[in-house]
Amino acid sequence: MENYFAERMNILRASDIREILKITQRPEVISFAGGLPAPEFFPSREIAEVACRVLEREGTRALQYSTTEGHAPLRAQIAARMNAKCGTQLSPDEILMTTGSQQGLDLIGKIFLDRDDVVVCESPTYLGAVMAFNTFRPRWIEIPTDENGMDVRALETALGRERNVKLIYVVPNFQNPSGRTWSLERRKELLALAVRHDIPVVEDNPYGELRFAGEPIPAIQSMDTTGMVISLGTLSKIFCPGLRVGWIAARRRFLDKLVIVKQGADLHSSTFDQMVASEYLASYSIDENIRRILVAYRARRDVMVKALELEMPEGVRFSRPKGGLFLWVELPEGIDARELLPRCLKRDVAFVPGGSFFPARNRDNTLRLNFSNMPEDRIVEGIRRLSAVLREMMAEHSRHHDIAPETTTAM
Amino acid sequence: MNIHLERGSGIPLYRQIVRQVREMILAGTLPPGFHLPPERRLAEALGVTRTTVINAYEELKDEGFATAHVGRGTIVLSPRHPSTIADTSHVMAWNRLFREETARPPDPLLRDLLDLTTKEGIISFAVGVPSRDLIPLSLFKNTVNRLLDEAGAETLHHSPTEGHPPLRESLSRWLTARGIRCSQDEVLVLSGSQQGLHLVARLLVHPGDTVIVEEPSYFGGLEALRRAGARMIGIPVDDQGMRVDLLEAILERHRPKLIYTLPTFQNPSGMEMSLERRNKLLALASARGVPVLEEDPYSELRYDGSPIPSLKALDTTGVVLYLATSSKILFPGLRIGWLVAPKPVIRQCTLLKQSEDLHTNTLGQFVLDRLFREGHVEQHLDKLRSVYRKNRDLMEAALQKHAPEGMTWSRPRGGFYFWCSLPDGVNRTQLLASAAAKRIAFLPGHACFVEETGRFYIRLNFSAPSPSDIPEGVERLTQAIREAIAERRPQRDRLVPMRPIV
Repeated sequence: MENYFAERMNILRASDIREILKITQRPEVISFAGGLPAPEFFPSREIAEVACRVLEREGTRALQYSTTEGHAPLRAQIAARMNAKCGTQLSPDEILMTTGSQQGLDLIGKIFLDRDDVVVCESPTYLGAVMAFNTFRPRWIEIPTDENGMDVRALETALGRERNVKLIYVVPNFQNPSGRTWSLERRKELLALAVRHDIPVVEDNPYGELRFAGEPIPAIQSMDTTGMVISLGTLSKIFCPGLRVGWIAARRRFLDKLVIVKQGADLHSSTFDQMVASEYLASYSIDENIRRILVAYRARRDVMVKALELEMPEGVRFSRPKGGLFLWVELPEGIDARELLPRCLKRDVAFVPGGSFFPARNRDNTLRLNFSNMPEDRIVEGIRRLSAVLREMMAEHSRHHDIAPETTTAM
Repeated sequence: MNIHLERGSGIPLYRQIVRQVREMILAGTLPPGFHLPPERRLAEALGVTRTTVINAYEELKDEGFATAHVGRGTIVLSPRHPSTIADTSHVMAWNRLFREETARPPDPLLRDLLDLTTKEGIISFAVGVPSRDLIPLSLFKNTVNRLLDEAGAETLHHSPTEGHPPLRESLSRWLTARGIRCSQDEVLVLSGSQQGLHLVARLLVHPGDTVIVEEPSYFGGLEALRRAGARMIGIPVDDQGMRVDLLEAILERHRPKLIYTLPTFQNPSGMEMSLERRNKLLALASARGVPVLEEDPYSELRYDGSPIPSLKALDTTGVVLYLATSSKILFPGLRIGWLVAPKPVIRQCTLLKQSEDLHTNTLGQFVLDRLFREGHVEQHLDKLRSVYRKNRDLMEAALQKHAPEGMTWSRPRGGFYFWCSLPDGVNRTQLLASAAAKRIAFLPGHACFVEETGRFYIRLNFSAPSPSDIPEGVERLTQAIREAIAERRPQRDRLVPMRPIV
């Protein structure tokens, strides 16, 4: 019955990541592929305890239908936490709880994007957003992005040229996949441009709390007096991902629309999950849990950076992120990470080729490494194998190039 | 009117016009009633194309700053929301940004009904929820504790989009025992069956496509289809279920993309489609290659008679997409449902689901799997059936005792609802008001139809209220109905559609 599918479905395909993740479920594989938080830091014992307390106190209410906007105490806790951490001034009714922040992206797509509308994004950008928005068939415009964020000049040119830009999508803290963090200056410039052109900004912030060093930089939403910034948050990276607890923070005029489409999509997010999250935030210090995570992730980043410095061949560049989960590698021109991957998989090492993170063009000589999910000794071993395979491939590549002119002559 | 355009500023010219005119309106420089210059003249004055000015005026109209009358040109309106404008230095052109389908106001019914479940002191027959006392709380609590102990972090981690594999296996076994032979690859776990309605509608329905629905039907399903842009054709339901005899001609004429049905203890009518009609429906749908979306939340809740196989169980050609849920029999708040369908459909729905919410909550899926595996679900269903059967009988006895002449219903053999037709001359507005005053809630039937109907129906739920409230509630309700007949108003009022105030 494939020919019955609505036209928009043709553009969906199993993503690279999805395929890779299937392979990495084998325990012997050293996986730098996932974007997963490390399960040893889920506060399982505390969750068991608060789950028990929620069921004692709330009884069957914890398992009954509830409102689309979300569990009221949790919305208040999230607003307070964002105001404290990001400098925003949100009220609880400006928070909509979502089934993970992926749903936040989907709902935003549902209210803004019609076919051929333009989404402006960083280059590279988060694959989950590309996936969510692509079901609405927009056009993507990638803006060159450096260590400090988007090139705002290029952004200005693009906004001046394009008529139907609907959204500017950014991940300003420890971006997935590049690990980059925007400077305060760039954040301000982006906001000013967006306001001047009346374009809503989607500020996706799953990693902001995972900062290893230095002071947090204020959220774009905190500087916004016009209400045109919509932000997305999640507890997946600092609590646990299996309870699907994310949120959208926005002015009511956006939120009212989002609530309606969420109701059509899944009525409401799990009541029990929301109550457990709320009770955890009330009873325990999530900051303490974040500190434990940071100690481990920082050490893992250090180990990976050191291994890369030691092992990687000449001509390979990589980022040294100050937080988050990812490190970004640029291979010499002409080396295709998609070809590197199957060879690495044979040695039981996995990563994500970077090409998938560029919705509008291909940069196949890049790859993303996750450093949060493997113990330190396996990181060292994995980078060693990856580097060895890469050296082989580069050697073949240069041999191939050496003999290329002769082949041409022979023809 | 003084407008300066900056060429090469990067801001489209029409936007510059919009902004400056808007500022002049807000500043009072252009008062309400002011006639903006004709498009052609302003275009000449500014040295821009007429299209630019037309776009600018259109946007001003969208934002509520201006209006246009044929022959009178474009006229400034007074700003509608001075307070919201005052607190921002900037006015966003929201309507320009929202998608077309989002701009349509929704039916607030579903949301209001969910909201109602949180209110105390009211006897509610309105919502289709299981009884609060029958949610197996301690079973849930013990299972959660055990799981967090034994499986630990795995129950809190990401899980596959298709669903927790053991749960898919449990479901396929459970379904196979009910005649639905399916492998676990043909089962997709959903964040509630609402997600299934939404995904199937997204997958199969283009705006403008025709979809066949029952009349009446589940309002959440109708709303999901409406949101997808479906043109719906209703087929009446009688005491044998959907009037399948009418289907053939409609299939011929309208070439629908989908047939949506709840054949067993339908919401709202409580009706059960006969075996004969099920077979006929499947034969017609298969012959024409029209997919059938069978939603089946209630079939486990049978109080009389012997089971009739689901459409999915009877389906030999793979034309049925089958949707069910744990919400009506276990835990509505966990948001777990499932879709059973041929693999190509599962594959596409999985991709859509992945982009919509990655996966359904993991711990809830672990719990549900355990309950299926350990035989608790079957046990629990026995309990539900015995309580709900009593509730149904209580409600029927109360209706027989109190119902005014002309109010009719038929006794449901299962499910959650009595579907009642009210006597002629009941004034809807008056009934809602009287019912509210008597603190009794029900679902007005018009939400369950594609179009407004002449008759006035109400749906009464008997699963959620406590047994002691049922006779009292029915008595109050029938008093309210009598009052609404007594307060008879002119005929034309009866046809005014209105939103329920539940």
